[in-house]
Amino acid sequence: MSVARRAFIQMSVGATVGILFTPTVWVALDDVSIWTQNWPWIPRLKYGEVKSVPTVSKMCDSGCAVKVRTCAGEAFAVAGNEDNPLSGGGVCPLCANSAQVKNSPNRIKTPMLNGEEISWDKAKEVVAEKLDAAGSSVAVISGDQNGTVNEVFSALLADKGSDAFYMMPCDMQAADKAWTGLMGGYGQIGYDLEGADVVLLAGADALESWGPTVANLKAFAANGSGKFLFAGPMQTKTAAVADKWVPVPAEGMAAFTLGVAYYVLQAGMTVDVADFAPFRAMVMNDYSPAKVEAATGVKADRMAAIAKQLLAASNPVVVPGGSVAAHGAAFALNLLLGGAMKAVPEFGKAVSTAMSRSEMLNKDILEGVNADLLFVYEANPAYALPEQVKAGFTVAFDSVNTETTASADLVLPTLHGFERFDDLASPYGVADATYSLGVPVSKPSVNAACAATFVLGLADLGFETFEEVLEAKAEAVGADMDALAEGGAYVAPGETPVAAGLAANVLGKAAVPVKGSGALGLVPYTLLNVGTANRATTPNAPCTISNNQLLGDKMVVMMNSATAKQLGVGVGSKVKLSGGNGECEALVQVFEGVLTGAVAAPLGMGHTVGDEFSKGKGDNVYKILTVSSEAAAGASTWAGSTVNVAKI
Amino acid sequence: MEERRASKRCGGVLPFIIGFLATCVLGWAVIPGLFFDKVEQPVWFSHAVHVDGQGMDCESCHYFRDDGSYAGFPTNEVCAECHAVDPEEAMEAIAEAGIDPSDYDAIMKAEIGAIEDNLASGDDDMMAAEREYVVKYLIQGKEVPWLNYQFQPDNVYFSHAAHKDMTIEDMAELKKELSDVVDPSVFEAEEFPEQNCNLCHMKDIHLNDVPPAFQRNILSGYSKMTMKMWKCERCHALKGQPNACYTCHK
Repeated sequence: MSVARRAFIQMSVGATVGILFTPTVWVALDDVSIWTQNWPWIPRLKYGEVKSVPTVSKMCDSGCAVKVRTCAGEAFAVAGNEDNPLSGGGVCPLCANSAQVKNSPNRIKTPMLNGEEISWDKAKEVVAEKLDAAGSSVAVISGDQNGTVNEVFSALLADKGSDAFYMMPCDMQAADKAWTGLMGGYGQIGYDLEGADVVLLAGADALESWGPTVANLKAFAANGSGKFLFAGPMQTKTAAVADKWVPVPAEGMAAFTLGVAYYVLQAGMTVDVADFAPFRAMVMNDYSPAKVEAATGVKADRMAAIAKQLLAASNPVVVPGGSVAAHGAAFALNLLLGGAMKAVPEFGKAVSTAMSRSEMLNKDILEGVNADLLFVYEANPAYALPEQVKAGFTVAFDSVNTETTASADLVLPTLHGFERFDDLASPYGVADATYSLGVPVSKPSVNAACAATFVLGLADLGFETFEEVLEAKAEAVGADMDALAEGGAYVAPGETPVAAGLAANVLGKAAVPVKGSGALGLVPYTLLNVGTANRATTPNAPCTISNNQLLGDKMVVMMNSATAKQLGVGVGSKVKLSGGNGECEALVQVFEGVLTGAVAAPLGMGHTVGDEFSKGKGDNVYKILTVSSEAAAGASTWAGSTVNVAKI
Repeated sequence: MEERRASKRCGGVLPFIIGFLATCVLGWAVIPGLFFDKVEQPVWFSHAVHVDGQGMDCESCHYFRDDGSYAGFPTNEVCAECHAVDPEEAMEAIAEAGIDPSDYDAIMKAEIGAIEDNLASGDDDMMAAEREYVVKYLIQGKEVPWLNYQFQPDNVYFSHAAHKDMTIEDMAELKKELSDVVDPSVFEAEEFPEQNCNLCHMKDIHLNDVPPAFQRNILSGYSKMTMKMWKCERCHALKGQPNACYTCHK
């Protein structure tokens, strides 16, 4: 036995030594080392032709003209489109991450009825039945400010005998109510920021979140000799790069603008409108610098200095933000100055029974929505307006899960912007009428469909598909569809604005600052990397959100040291903000660029539905906004919101 | 005493030598082959039919794009330039025939006119292969998952453009040093081909009729022909090219 064992051991030793003289062990070790580099969960690259395909992105309110980087037909990145004046090669923080959103696990993958997956045929059946039952009690809330998709939805409403078309709250609405509603003007107001020599941004955070931000930034960069002045309650990023920041409370913006108008009128400037005399009298009597200073805290000499700069300029412009009154006051001032404010003509309609843009902006969502059947298109009212919207049955169209899709009865996944035809007609703020087309650059990755084509299947609106609607739109615009598909824009110059009047009676009353009853003024502000009312932050953006907005999962609010001292808080203090009908929790940051007696809070956080990048990050400031009625202007506003702040 | 003697007799070097030789033989001749699975290409593609038969050249399918990137395997878009079956028309015909579009065998058996009328092959075997490609991939809008004999992992950046000006003739000067890297027979031709594909790819693949099986390493998943890093480095060193990590690992 022992002999066999010894021989076996010796043979084993020989075998072991022998194997070392072959490549087997060494090759196996090499293979194992490679094997450890190739775990199945490591993402694999897709190989194929890399292209840069022009289209539009509707992630931000304004929309961006972009070039989508694709590999083998799959979108993987977004860049600006230098061939389109809306972009000039730039892209906003939201649209920059649109490809990541397209490929996100947060996409809605199939139609869902009360949480159950259903087919598109079944979805159509359900909506058709609800539409029949609802009669004219149908409403639409659209998160798209400038797409022809709104024509399709509004034509559906017209077909049902309803005019309940709502846009999510936006400056475009306030501008339209002031310009078209109060002043009888024509077209959509635009601002030539590149051509102006003095720009007074009266509440418009133009280089961060207001209007066509990317085009604004390009104009700012190109306008090297122009003076940019920013008036607002907080030194925003726009204010930080402007030549001057004038602290003005949001609710006092209209009065401040009329205070500036006082000096302009005093200098003898006039406008050829019927109510010029009453307007002049109203400003000279009610908005004298002393009165404005008393009401807003803005020193008279500051208003005088601004008026002096505007009067000395050859092509000045005032760009408003906020309430209807603030817009009306700015438009009146622009008419007096005769500068770089433009009236942008609206393009012809593709769907004959659709509403005009101004008609679409007529209904005020802040006053509340109540309908038997509500269509929500790529908007998130359940997040931004939880108390204003009520409906018997809600159909939510969106490409990603949001608070609105979570609470809707029927959820219909829309194709992502890079998977569908879409368009971008004159986003609010552009100086020239601008039309851009979006074409699919990538195949649908989920069981989604085009919302507009779905709606066209519910009623006879004269078209079968949205692509046909866009062909008709391009024809109505007078543009060449093929040229548009290559990424260029059709541009028609903005016109000199003409108003029927200056709405003297209304402005006189509406411009009076009205503030809530809270201890501090609330300064809500938007950063596109944080998100908007409709779109949460995107997968690559959180690393760009600073500690002044988010620290860990806690929202950060900013106030100046005087306000902090008054409240007995300091940097890092945990506070509770109460306002409207809600509360928010936040950490304090001290920043001297906030008006005394005010607290600045970032909008767009605190999502309860969404992906890992937005859900549970910070708190939702929309909960603590106060809706106040601009009774004289027949509108509602969030300007003048106040909060009580308690240390916790 | 006897036991000890017996032990000495049997405990010589013989068992050691037997073990040594056995594993040497196994290690050189048998075990290396066990590391690889043979996997066939998804459809039969004959280079010979396309190159000899149709007069196509390498660049017809394997070309540099305008931006300098290399197209590698042809896409359906390229194949459809000759295999002109309209996917939409074919799918409509399949639906009309009441066939499930994912039931490839049924479609191939049904001899759908929209497909059959547009097949280009002359011989039955070739037509069967072409039909299989059309039904399984072209009309389905799916790219053929060709198996790449020279597969390189994602963490290796290889630029065909950077290597396209090398010639076999120039490299032949280094054939001794490159004997472990390049198939020596590549340097033995009387006249070197214009393209340098043979340096790294299967020799004379353009004449191949039945593609050889792809030999997949059972541990790493790589091709048996995957060029390992030391081979890249040797050639770079011999040609005075950089061998820094970032040269290939971006």
